[in-house]
Amino acid sequence: MLAEGRAGNSVMTFRRSGRWLAAIGAVALAATLAACGSSSSSGGVPSGQSIVFADVAPFSGPDAALGPTYLVSCDGTTAAINKAGGVLGHKVSCTTADTRGDPADAIPAVGSLLARTHNLELVIGCTSDEAAAVAPVINSHKTVMFCMTGQSEFDHKHFDYFYRLVPPDLAESYAMTVIAQQLGYKKIALAFGNDIGSQTFVQPAESAIAKAGMTVVANETLDLNATTFRTEAEKIVQAHPDAIMTEALGSADATLFSEIKQLNGGQVIPIIGTSAAISPAFFTSAAAAVGASDFANNFHADNLVTATSGPAYQAFTQSLLAVKGKVSGAQTGDFSTYFTAPGAVHLYDGMNLAALSMIAAGSTDVAKWKPFLTSIGDGVPGAVTVNSFAQGVAELKAGKKIRYVGPGGPTSFDSFHDSPGIFQVDTYTAAGVVTVSGNISAAQLRAVSG
Amino acid sequence: MTIFLASVGFGLLTAAVLAIAAVGFTLQFAVTNVLNLAFAAIMTAGAFTAYGINQLGVSVWVGLPVAMVACAALSVALNLLVYAPFQRRGSAPITIVIVSLGMALIIEFGTQAVVGGISVSYKMSQGHTYKLGGLVLTTVQLAIIAISVVVMVAAYLTLRYTKLGKSMRATSANRQLARNCGIRTGRVITTTWALTGALGGLAGTVYAIDIGSFGPTSTDLFVVLILAAVFLGGPGHAYGAMLGALLIGVATEVSAAYIVPSYKYVIAFVVLLAMLAVRPTGLLGART
Repeated sequence: MLAEGRAGNSVMTFRRSGRWLAAIGAVALAATLAACGSSSSSGGVPSGQSIVFADVAPFSGPDAALGPTYLVSCDGTTAAINKAGGVLGHKVSCTTADTRGDPADAIPAVGSLLARTHNLELVIGCTSDEAAAVAPVINSHKTVMFCMTGQSEFDHKHFDYFYRLVPPDLAESYAMTVIAQQLGYKKIALAFGNDIGSQTFVQPAESAIAKAGMTVVANETLDLNATTFRTEAEKIVQAHPDAIMTEALGSADATLFSEIKQLNGGQVIPIIGTSAAISPAFFTSAAAAVGASDFANNFHADNLVTATSGPAYQAFTQSLLAVKGKVSGAQTGDFSTYFTAPGAVHLYDGMNLAALSMIAAGSTDVAKWKPFLTSIGDGVPGAVTVNSFAQGVAELKAGKKIRYVGPGGPTSFDSFHDSPGIFQVDTYTAAGVVTVSGNISAAQLRAVSG
Repeated sequence: MTIFLASVGFGLLTAAVLAIAAVGFTLQFAVTNVLNLAFAAIMTAGAFTAYGINQLGVSVWVGLPVAMVACAALSVALNLLVYAPFQRRGSAPITIVIVSLGMALIIEFGTQAVVGGISVSYKMSQGHTYKLGGLVLTTVQLAIIAISVVVMVAAYLTLRYTKLGKSMRATSANRQLARNCGIRTGRVITTTWALTGALGGLAGTVYAIDIGSFGPTSTDLFVVLILAAVFLGGPGHAYGAMLGALLIGVATEVSAAYIVPSYKYVIAFVVLLAMLAVRPTGLLGART
């Protein structure tokens, strides 16, 4: 038997050698494809071919609602760009890469995206779940990215191709604390998911709450894959908080709210969420779990100030409405929630900035158009303010310098390409419509900042 | 003390749901020789089947048996179309495990493609809340515990006293010998897939009722808990799975009360590893 085994092994060894050669060949082929893909970033898009924007975000896993939200924005924005004539004769299209909200899955997903996608000019998405892992990869590929991450490490780490129009997470923690102050709460429970994106809120929230003279009475870390949070909910209920600050996406928050309501004699404890809670998927889940009225009556969230009227808002909403019901995974809830969803608004602005920059540069070569992102976003002396891609194209064709101000408001990029906005307080109606219930001033944020 | 009692109560509830799934999983493994990692995905399919019925304005308690039937059919189809062909070709057990992992992803993503990436809830009342000392349970949660007890008793009686149960045990112990003794093992195996699939549908629906809000990926971690309960009790042992579920359920909730809650499953698995270090074949497995 042993001899047979050895003989068999020798055959297997030979076969395995063949497989190894095949595997090495496959890796070499993949590397070649990746190199071919990367050539588009440095050389511009050949005439007659489409420019591609990629939505790199979770489409599955606990944060699966984020990817489709960004895709609504991508499909809507590119449709509006194409309707206005495209970019330098090129149509623009969207593609996706599912990171599953996990760095381990995100790296191969982005690797595959870069290898297979020709003419990739822009990446959007890259949430806090995966940004730290994928941003260096995308950056080394010399592809501009507009990321939806508030991770503080990007406040002081420079990536040439990294841009964001959202504030660092610690600023959101301060904003949530100010909301608690405004509502007169004294005792706060923290309930944040155990994912990277949610945990970054905790320490700044603790220090801000202390500085504001309030008390953290419970601090529960929620495993986003956990089956229930009953014990965590019971600890929160027993701590008798005035409000709960939370971000635990997927079904976690909805489950927690449901269990708290059950353990608290049918009463929902007031909830203060992050801007990520402003999405149709979040409202649908939470409202289904505790009842729409109960949820709407007890929920506040910080959100960046975005336009709710005016030409920029009109152009933005028209773009998104053009793809209503057509985007996979985004057919649930009140569609108008996307008009205030941070991802939809700010990525729309990022894509328009990129497209206008290419036209201003007269090139799809990233080395040539990237410098225009800040000049068109922040404006230069004598620039004409435009509120949509079509308007920007018209002014550029007229030989004017432009400043793009979209529904997310004017940008002000720092040396790290961060352009944090200012905050407002959002609530929901029982029908899931987002309403603005207040504002948060810079002075209020400074007062609680660590 | 109050939080301790509360967590024990919650642990019993977790154990009740886990026990149904673990018994189904271990029976399936014992009789069919397939370590079916797609079991939790079938639970998800069951939960969403009941959800679909519930969305039509029908009580989820009516949707529950429909989910059981649907999952029984899905489970049988999974065996006939996927696992059985691999087994006929003499695929190694580890190959079947990988195939089942692939099927889990296919079912999970297929469900997500249909329902989207959002979380949903059944339209139902939790009923009255009962408090006894630190224990806090609703009518629905007590009903879930009762269902679990009924399933456990039914499993015991079936395996112990019925012809089917004896055939299942014989097939599990030695399929060739069982066939030589006149047992139609093929039919027993198909029946086992149907029964355990129905248990999967039941487990998925009560799990979804229990957690309040669920999505296509909600059972991702639950399958690990099922495996833990099964291996803690001794793989292939239905009664061991019940005991394993009880220990895992209570350990996770009690540890959540006293340590960082996100580590509650870590503690449960430390318990599992410690137990297996002492008894490698599980609590009710044969002594080595």
